[in-house]
Order: sequence, then structure tokens, then C-alpha cells
Amino acid sequence: MNLPASWEEIERLYHEALDLPPGERNALLARASPELRKEVESLLEADSEAGVLAAPPSHVVADLLDGQSSGLAPGERVADYEVESLISIGGMGEVYLARDAQGTPVALKILRRHLIVSAHAVDRFETEARAASALRHPNIVTVFQSGESPAGLFIAMEWVDGSTFRAIMNAGRVEIAQAMDWGGQAARALSAAHAAAILHRDIKPENVMLRKDGVVKILDFGLARDEGAVRPEPNSMGASGTISGTLSGTLLYMPPEILRGETATSASDMFSLGAVLYELTAGQHPFAGETLLDVFEAIECRPVAPIASLRPGVPPEADGLILRMLDRHPEGRPSAREVCDVLAGVSGPEKS
Amino acid sequence: MAVTELQPTVAILHSRVSETNPQGEVTRLLAEWSSGDQSALNKMMPLVYAELHRIARRAWSQQPHNNTLQPTALINEAYLKLANVENASFQDRCHFFAVACKAMRQILVNHAKSRLSEKRGYGMAHVSLDDVQPAVHQEAAEIVALHEALEALHAVDPRKSMVVEMRYFGGLSIEETAEAMGVSTRTVIRDWRLARSWLIREMNRESS
Repeated sequence: MNLPASWEEIERLYHEALDLPPGERNALLARASPELRKEVESLLEADSEAGVLAAPPSHVVADLLDGQSSGLAPGERVADYEVESLISIGGMGEVYLARDAQGTPVALKILRRHLIVSAHAVDRFETEARAASALRHPNIVTVFQSGESPAGLFIAMEWVDGSTFRAIMNAGRVEIAQAMDWGGQAARALSAAHAAAILHRDIKPENVMLRKDGVVKILDFGLARDEGAVRPEPNSMGASGTISGTLSGTLLYMPPEILRGETATSASDMFSLGAVLYELTAGQHPFAGETLLDVFEAIECRPVAPIASLRPGVPPEADGLILRMLDRHPEGRPSAREVCDVLAGVSGPEKS
Repeated sequence: MAVTELQPTVAILHSRVSETNPQGEVTRLLAEWSSGDQSALNKMMPLVYAELHRIARRAWSQQPHNNTLQPTALINEAYLKLANVENASFQDRCHFFAVACKAMRQILVNHAKSRLSEKRGYGMAHVSLDDVQPAVHQEAAEIVALHEALEALHAVDPRKSMVVEMRYFGGLSIEETAEAMGVSTRTVIRDWRLARSWLIREMNRESS
């Protein structure tokens, strides 16, 4: 193969063809040798493709710059906090274990810099800081401080030494009495939020933690809004964007009115908490499905089996309560206050 | 953590830069290169590489909301910093841009590779792989594929691979590329178009 010579021919014919209107190119190419014609035709075909060179590598440049200033090392400081270790990386940023000036552990959430290009990300981050700091409740994670640092936007919040409900469910079956107690604590948190006219909007097992001493803490008010019109998130399927496997995204905990694009109310949070409590008690999700359509269909139309049919021994009042929380019609669901009262009644006697 | 593979190298380069006088060094190397010493380019690379990194980090921490930060801005600043601008010849400036674009390419390819290997091998507890940024990973994969195709193009037509290096990795405009390479803008436009077609074709072949 005599490449250098033919490369010149290819180059000449390629530009000659490009200088012609597309309709006249074939006549020109027909005069070339079959090999030359094949080469030039494949290049002209590629020319019409919107390829990788169409735009500068802005994501990687941003990520490179970001990676330099974020990704905190142990000992680095953010405001008054000293970073100890990285706990998790999420779509929204990173969470570190850090310590304040007194040595008290805090969870430090950092919004990664290149995500700041999205106004939505900043909005969500600020909403979380604002909503959670407006709420002081033993079952809601406390926000100490939020602001901007060279590392990015940050929120310093109460360190919860424990596990998420998701991790607890993955580890094994939960005692019924415990599930009732935890459900009551979570409902108390929502009752306080709803009393302050704040909706959580993203209740799911990943966002509820159990501290080692048995105290339940609700996290991530990033989607919280004052009551009023809200829309489901475009990425509401969860960070992975997939629905296979455990279907860990938000979708499974979303009430039908939100899936239909209607306004969220406090009853929407109750539906999501109901789905979490059902899963916690029954050991399986009320609307699990193989595909996205299966899940939609289940949430919208499939009757929910009583928990007792899956987990004998569940108090009938609790079973009935959780099924009412999963009512397709928001007006049929109990309030957070009512859930607290009923669950206090069922978990109380066993404790005493 | 995001640049695990890159950071040790950068740290070493930084220490070298601070020990010597990078400005005098780059000026001297530019002069040596102009007088025909091809090895000067290789010696200049690490200095420019480190300086670009340093500028990028500082620029970002001073203007965190500046999303338009471009490779070309970094390169211009590195030039002002490293080269003895007043005494530098036009030739020196062209040579510097050639080295800087090559360094920028290396920086971006290294970063893309470290991102990709991080995704494959992330062993940290609690870290969900689903949460890493897909746009970054897709582009990182494209950069690595492009880098390899560009090596192949270099074997066929070095000038065209240099045009791509300057325009894509260095972020230079057509006019800046023409000036740095000492060719007409028409040549850059034509080279860019053919190189682009050629690279897209090669990358499609690789992936199919």
C-alpha cells in the first residue's frame, strides 16, 4: 500500500468534492479509481456526521479543574471544619466526615464545582440548607452552617452515627415493633415539617437514618418546598437512571398524583412514608416491578396486598394505617399527626 | 481523589518548577529550540505542563463561577508567566504555543484516563458508581479514543494532527492556529475539515 502518494490524491479529491454542490459530487468521484473513490466517499460520509470534535471537551476540562479544588484530603479545612474522611459521593456532591473547632463530628456536604453550572443544582442545594435549618426537630437532621468556600458550596450538618433504612433492610428482616417505632418517629418529623408548611418530597429509605441509639433522623431536604405547586424531577428515576435490579430511585416512593404531574401536598409525603413503612414491615416493596411501566401500573392501579398476608403478626391497626397511607387518592390518606398517634398506640404496649 | 493518577506527577513537577527559575528556563529552551535543538521541546514540556495545572487551579479557586474558562486562556497566561515576553521572538511564541497545546492534550488525556480507570476500579465503601457524572465519562472515553486516532493521523500527516491538537485540545481559534503554525487560515480550515472526517471515520471503525 503506497499510502503517502495516495494520501495526497485523497486530500485533493476530498476538497474538490466538498467544493461542489452535493448533487454534482458523484460525477467527479466516478472518474476516480475504485480505491480512491471508496476512501473519499467514506471521508465525505464522516464529514456529515456530528462527531466528537464538534464541541470543545468542556466536561472534562471542568472536571479537571473541579478535581483540583474539590476532592478534599484529610486535614483540609472548609470554613471552621477540618475534613477527616470521604463518606460518599452522590450526584449532588460529596459528603465528608469532618470535625468542628471543638472536635465534634459533623457531616460536611460539598457541592462539586462543575455541578454549579446547573442552576438547578445550586437551587436544590440552597433549598436543602434553608429548609432543614428552618426545622428544628429531634427527628430531622440539624443543619449547623451553610455557605461558600474555595472547595465549593457546603452544608455542615449533624453527624448521624448509624445506618440508612435502605442499609438496614438490606441487612435483614426488621422486627415489627421496631418498624412501628421508627415509623412513628419519622411521622413526628414530617408532622413538624408539615406544621411549618414544608414538604420533604423525597422520602425514601436512603433518606431516613437510624442512629445507633435508636433515634430516627430524616435527611436530605434538597427537594423540599413550601407547600404549593411542584413538579416531579426530570431525573426522578434516581441517579442511576435505570429501573433494573433494586429500582433504588425515587420513583418507587412517588405517589400517583406526582407521577401524573399534579401538585404535591403533605399527603404526598405520607404516601412515600407509607411505601417505606410497608417495605420495612412486609420485607418487600408494595409496587415492585420488572420494568418502569410495571411500576407505573402498580402505583396507579394494582391493589396493595395487606402486610399480614406477607408478614403475619402485624397489628391490624398498623396494617390498615399503612394501606391508607398508600391510598391512591391524597384525601384518603391519614395526616402525619394521625400516623404518630396510631403507631404510638401499637408500638407502645409492647415496649412497656 | 478525582485526579489520583495525575497528582503525584504534578507534585513532582511542581517541586522541580519551584527549585529552578521556570521563566529563565523556558526562555532559554525556546531559544535552543529556535536554533535547532529538538530536545529542547521535551525539556520544556514538564515546565509548561506544571504551569498550566497551577494556573488552572488558581483561576478556578478565584473565579469559581467562571464556567467559560478555556484551555486557550490557560495557555495565554502560562505564556505570559513562563516566557520572557519582551525579548521573545515571534518564533518563540509560536513554539511555546505548540508545546502548550501538546501539554494541554496530555493533561486532558491523563485526566480522562484516570477518570475512566477510577470508574472501573473504585473500591471505596459507600460510594455508588451510578452517581458519577455520565457526561464526563462519555467525553473522557471520546478523548482517549480521539487521542489514539490522532496518533495514527500523525503517522499519515503530522501537520493535520497538529491542527487538531491546537484547535481541540489547546482551544485555539483558526487564526491563532494559523499564526502559531505559520500557515494560512485557509490551510487550517481545510486541514481541520479533512482531519475531522478522517478521525471520525477511524473512531467509528474502532468502536464497531
